[in-house]
Amino acid sequence: MNSKTNLKIALTLISIIAIISIGLKIKPILNNYDNFNPEKVYKINYKFFFKSGDKNTSLKTYIPSSNPRQRISKESIKNDTTLSFTKKEEIGENLRAIWNTEEKNTYHSVDYEFVFEGKGRNFRIPKVFNVASGKYRKYLKPTQNIQSDNEIINELATQLGQNTKNDKEVIKNIFDYVYAIPSAPIITLTDAVTAIEQNRASCNGKSRLFVALSRNLGYPARIRGGIIVENTDKRTSHAWTEVLINETWVPFDALNNHFGYLPANYLELYRGDKSLITHTTGIQFDYTYKMDEVNHISFLKMNSEELHDLPGFSLWHLIDKNVIPSGALHLLLLLPIGGFLVAFLRNIVGLKTFGVFLPVLIAFSLLHTGFVSGIAIFVGLITFIGLISYPFDNLGLLYTPKLVISLTTMVSVILLATHFGIRNNIEWLTKLTFFPIIILTISAERFSRSTLEDGYIKAIDKLFQTLIATSISYLILSLSWLPSVLVLFPEISLLIIASSTLLGRYIGIRWIELFRFKPLLKAEK
Amino acid sequence: MFSIIFNKKSTAASGVIGLNERNIRLIYPNNPKKHYPLADDKVLTKEILHQYNIPCAETYAVIEYNSDIKEAWKSCQQYNSVAIKPANGSGGGGIKILKKDKNDNWISNGEIITDRQVFQHMASIIMGFFSLGSHDRVLVEECIEPHPFFCEIYPQGVPDFRIITLNKTPLMGMLRMPTDRSDGKANLHQNGVGIGVDMKEGRLLEVYDGKEYSNHHPDSTFLVNGTPIPYWKEILEISVATAKAFPLNYLGIDIVIDKNKGPQIMEINVRPGLGIQLVNKTGLKEVIKRAI
Repeated sequence: MNSKTNLKIALTLISIIAIISIGLKIKPILNNYDNFNPEKVYKINYKFFFKSGDKNTSLKTYIPSSNPRQRISKESIKNDTTLSFTKKEEIGENLRAIWNTEEKNTYHSVDYEFVFEGKGRNFRIPKVFNVASGKYRKYLKPTQNIQSDNEIINELATQLGQNTKNDKEVIKNIFDYVYAIPSAPIITLTDAVTAIEQNRASCNGKSRLFVALSRNLGYPARIRGGIIVENTDKRTSHAWTEVLINETWVPFDALNNHFGYLPANYLELYRGDKSLITHTTGIQFDYTYKMDEVNHISFLKMNSEELHDLPGFSLWHLIDKNVIPSGALHLLLLLPIGGFLVAFLRNIVGLKTFGVFLPVLIAFSLLHTGFVSGIAIFVGLITFIGLISYPFDNLGLLYTPKLVISLTTMVSVILLATHFGIRNNIEWLTKLTFFPIIILTISAERFSRSTLEDGYIKAIDKLFQTLIATSISYLILSLSWLPSVLVLFPEISLLIIASSTLLGRYIGIRWIELFRFKPLLKAEK
Repeated sequence: MFSIIFNKKSTAASGVIGLNERNIRLIYPNNPKKHYPLADDKVLTKEILHQYNIPCAETYAVIEYNSDIKEAWKSCQQYNSVAIKPANGSGGGGIKILKKDKNDNWISNGEIITDRQVFQHMASIIMGFFSLGSHDRVLVEECIEPHPFFCEIYPQGVPDFRIITLNKTPLMGMLRMPTDRSDGKANLHQNGVGIGVDMKEGRLLEVYDGKEYSNHHPDSTFLVNGTPIPYWKEILEISVATAKAFPLNYLGIDIVIDKNKGPQIMEINVRPGLGIQLVNKTGLKEVIKRAI
């Protein structure tokens, strides 16, 4: 009894400490809540170097502005004093930075730095579009490189527009046609007609052709330019297409197969068929875009130092110093939560699952493979193993060698499927990486063991219940904010210990037993 | 909201014990894990039963090594029927009942079984084929002939009583019987039926088939409800004796009634199932309260 009381006191103390520690942090965190919720944060630096020419030299580039899916902040410009800087807002909403110098034949450098926070955005495309108002007329006109009135374009556009039921299908046809053109890193200017003729185009050629075809069929369209931001230095910019659909400019990237979707790491810079950088001709010029991913917590507008200065204890330094890769850290932090969830499902709800952590681990694999395809692969493999092991059961093989046969078959099947998937471009078949394979293998082992111990019917029943537990775990674990909350409040793991102790002493009837003992429970009422 | 999640009301109202409560209140405090093998290993169980002179099927041979199979089988030739079992088997896997016909051939499942086949079966028991990969022992014992009393209810298979004891006191009992759908097995979740037992009077109660209650076995017209159980006093006595012999205080004791020798202990269980509550239409908690 005494040790029980001591344990109770210890657990209460632990919970109190955890709650106080959480309480200390909760106010500054709530104060800094950020409803922008960026998925990606990068520090981006345009670095330009040039030697001015014999006369006045100028360098112009587009700079980004904030919009509902990207936020630009902490702009800073470093350039030598002989350069004059102006910022100009062009008609058509583009922002342009211009550096001028009168000094002749001298070396200059410019650093233009800012923080980019982006999030992916999916656009819902209606089947039928409203007719665009007159103010968008200029987005229907042909230009030198977007020859929407050209005979070849006209013929192709008519062909793509045939046999379609609605506007969305027309756009989809155009998209598919342009996407199917082999991509090639062509540096010389490719206009819309050339893109068709040489059946090969870069992002510029493809977006010009997309715009030309759309305009020809009466859909206002324009080119959008920017940079695909990655954690590296690069010199290439990117262009995609926007089509005006019911007063909204909807993005289409027919190079990277984004239909009505703009990923989080697309930095939008300018509208129209422009060059990102222009400078006085005949000068020596070099540049790079330096990009570094910044660790962040999506729902907080706090920078790294502010997060370090939070009162109490947090795991931010592990993320900031890259001690553990963030994926692995998230997995570690989510494991106790998932375990507790499964404990709840087993002891309170009464689900029977293969192993305690297996549903959680399967849920993690599903995070890699995607839910539907993951469950399909999982059920498919397990059924397959069941069928395979059936003849071996009848042979009367010993348990362990039989297991080796199942596992070997399974690994072979996974490898064959992956091979087949890569050959035939079936994406979901190629997603079985190392981690999911191991988890699936263990699950299949547990399943075939259960078929021996409990028989097929019970094993399948248990498998079904495991899948339910897995789906619930997946729902919880796929919450994107959950890992960040655990990083900020590692005390939660103390609370999990305390609540697990309570759960461990729980003697109530499980939900499933309510059905099992229904006749008894009813009789008593 | 909390009372909905944790089912406070419904458990308090009925005396039903769920798996959580069984584990925490009954199994953990009463059955020390180190003594589990005494119940899980049939050879160890029988050693203790023999030691205390509690009636159980006579042991003919225990075989631990392949090299001993031939000699042990030779010594068994004097008997007319034997049961061959894995000591650590579960769910009835690996059990073979052998009987001699007029020409002294061993018959299993209606077919002649050669010595070679018997050796093979014993070897696979020793290799752990029926005990999930661990090395095991073969138990050869006397074959129980069910008492004619059972034939009146249902003539096939071996029915057995399950008596739950707590602190050496029998709490609840049921009779488990095979049915046409259960393939000779008497287990409730293998389509067998459970019949409630009036512990005081020693009479059978209603038949429960997993869904419904009735007064008859599903495959016969014999009126079960109210039938007195033969040897009931002895059944209770050997249950108490068994409970006293083992250092395990919460047990499910399985008992069969032999035609000639009366009640015999078949095996004991440290994690007895909770379906017995449904069969008897009574919660265990209620019974425990009354017993203390």
